[in-house]
Amino acid sequence: MGVTAMGMRSWLAERAVRRVHVLVVEVPGRWATRVAVQRAVTQRGWVEATSAADADALVVCGTPGRRLAEAIDRVWDQLPGPRARAEVELTDNEQAGVAVQAAVDGAVEGAADGALDRVAAALMDDLAQRADAAGRSSWSAGMADAGEMAGDTAGDDGMDHGGMDDMDMGDMDMGDMDMGDMDMGDMSPGGIALAGGAEDRDGLEMDVLHVPLGPVLPHWPAGLVLRCTVAGDVVTEAEAEVLPAAAPHLAQGRVPADAWWCDQAAAVLALAGWNDAAAQAQQARDLLLAGEATAATATAARLRVRVARSRILRWQLRDLGSDARPDVRERLLDLLDRAAGQLGNNPPAAAVTDLPDLVPGLELAAVRLLVASLALDTTAAEPVTSHG
Amino acid sequence: MVTVAAAPWVLPVLVVFVMIALGAAAFDAVLANRRPGALLIPGDEMARLLRQRRRTTVSADSPLWRIGGGGLIVAALLMVVVIPVGGVALTDLSVGVVWFNTMDVAVWALVWLTGWGANSAHSLVGGYRFLAQALAYELPLMFALTAPAVGAASLRLADVVAAQQGLWFVVWMPVAFVVYLIGVVGFSVWGPLNPAAGRDIAGGILAELSGVDRLLVLAGRYALLSAGAAFAVPMFLGGSAGLPWLAGLLPGWVWFTVKWLLLLACLVATRRRIPTIRPDRFVEAGWLVLLPVTLVQLLVVSTVVVLRS
Repeated sequence: MGVTAMGMRSWLAERAVRRVHVLVVEVPGRWATRVAVQRAVTQRGWVEATSAADADALVVCGTPGRRLAEAIDRVWDQLPGPRARAEVELTDNEQAGVAVQAAVDGAVEGAADGALDRVAAALMDDLAQRADAAGRSSWSAGMADAGEMAGDTAGDDGMDHGGMDDMDMGDMDMGDMDMGDMDMGDMSPGGIALAGGAEDRDGLEMDVLHVPLGPVLPHWPAGLVLRCTVAGDVVTEAEAEVLPAAAPHLAQGRVPADAWWCDQAAAVLALAGWNDAAAQAQQARDLLLAGEATAATATAARLRVRVARSRILRWQLRDLGSDARPDVRERLLDLLDRAAGQLGNNPPAAAVTDLPDLVPGLELAAVRLLVASLALDTTAAEPVTSHG
Repeated sequence: MVTVAAAPWVLPVLVVFVMIALGAAAFDAVLANRRPGALLIPGDEMARLLRQRRRTTVSADSPLWRIGGGGLIVAALLMVVVIPVGGVALTDLSVGVVWFNTMDVAVWALVWLTGWGANSAHSLVGGYRFLAQALAYELPLMFALTAPAVGAASLRLADVVAAQQGLWFVVWMPVAFVVYLIGVVGFSVWGPLNPAAGRDIAGGILAELSGVDRLLVLAGRYALLSAGAAFAVPMFLGGSAGLPWLAGLLPGWVWFTVKWLLLLACLVATRRRIPTIRPDRFVEAGWLVLLPVTLVQLLVVSTVVVLRS
């Protein structure tokens, strides 16, 4: 009986590790590493996770600064398990030792592959996974977190809980609430304060929540945290900030412009729910990185025609975005033009500091699409001195 | 007329149905990956989710959350029991069409509870997105279901099938057929009508689910899609009748399965090819286009029926 159970478990583990869901976290300035990890994930037949609950593994690309590391740790606490964690970063020696760009690329790819090997091994190790599970005392609800959360929602720095890990806390708005006529002690189920109200786009009173978007969110600019105040699913206020890497200006891996534009277009298409087109954009990106410029340009050009022709996409994206000009669809076509090596018409002039003016009044889907279509470069927003 | 299958048949039939739903998942994996071995992906995913631990969130409404997630597959199985295959059905309700409609309305509650139970912002947004979308597809779907019932002057599926001898309803009720399929895609939270589980809200109703809870919801979606495709066969595609000039070649249940699988394959394939349609835009289309054209279709069907009698 025991033998059978063991056999069953290892069989399950073997099958499961053929389809690992990886939550990939990009530290600002580590675009090349993130892309290398994504390619390694695809090559193994693994997939990217959509949320912490969906993830078996957390792969951090680069060395995060203190606050970003704290946010990543909180996401790590949310992985259901069996779980594995890896960091992909070149050592100083590797950095210094290679002058040739191609060698850096090779080293990054090797590091990504090695990290995924470690992930697979860790996920297969049943004993270690059991020990990990037994050691997670705050697991099943993270009640400790909830208490802490209720204590500090009142306005101080709620941000370091950033990311998807916050959403299940129902991080409520106490700042806008009329505290006078409420006994908070009695009205905070699970340590969570009740929400205040505000009007949504139709003038209905909705609960006001604080929902931080990022820094750990797929198809989202690296390290960006957008702290949104939402009524219903409409953002009424937002604050933007970039959580920097530990060592901001360490160059690592090249960032060819055309491949970067391709990657941004892929994010918009994935958020628009057009899986085929998003895959095509990633394919063009990978061809560009592999140096097959002709094939890549052809793929990008075909994709541009396809996107321009899609009536459903036009119907979905038209007039979307702040002030609507250029709208998300026009920005997407522009990204694809750039990917195909042509000059775009609408330079993505927005910076992270513009976001608080751009997003109020939009619902969450529109915010995600708009932010992706702006193709923000969060390394530019990094302060020169590290916070960490 | 339909023979009601003996009780021991219930389990095998439902097992076959679940296998077909699994086949739909395998087909989707092949379309997504285009490589050998992709057929095994649903098996790997199942192993992975069975091995994964369940999780919960702060102040989750666990009973309602689990009811919502587990209920989808139950609703799909209950849809299937009234479908006659080769002159045999698990049950022969006199109101089979209404029964199906009841189940698809129950899906409203189930999907919304899946979004609500997690007590998480993105999950809840997913749940409400589904309700908004359901407001747009449900009335057209109901009227689309009414068209074959009016054509057959009966709500019993056996009568609906019998009324299609000679001419399948899909031929003279094409609008109702298309609107019906849109409804099926809608209640299955399947692409392009899957904003409730969108990537832009970290998976929406799926955002906080892991382990066996997630498996049940994902399986429930495939089961609903499969059940919707199966129900279209007696409603619009002549049930187990073969093509007129080939009818004698194959037994009825084979014809039924062929139609079912072709339709299911088409529904599965739509997801990757079309971008997600957001609820605020779909509501416009639902009320300004789908509902009026379905009503016109129903008017045409009713007129034909009155003139014929």
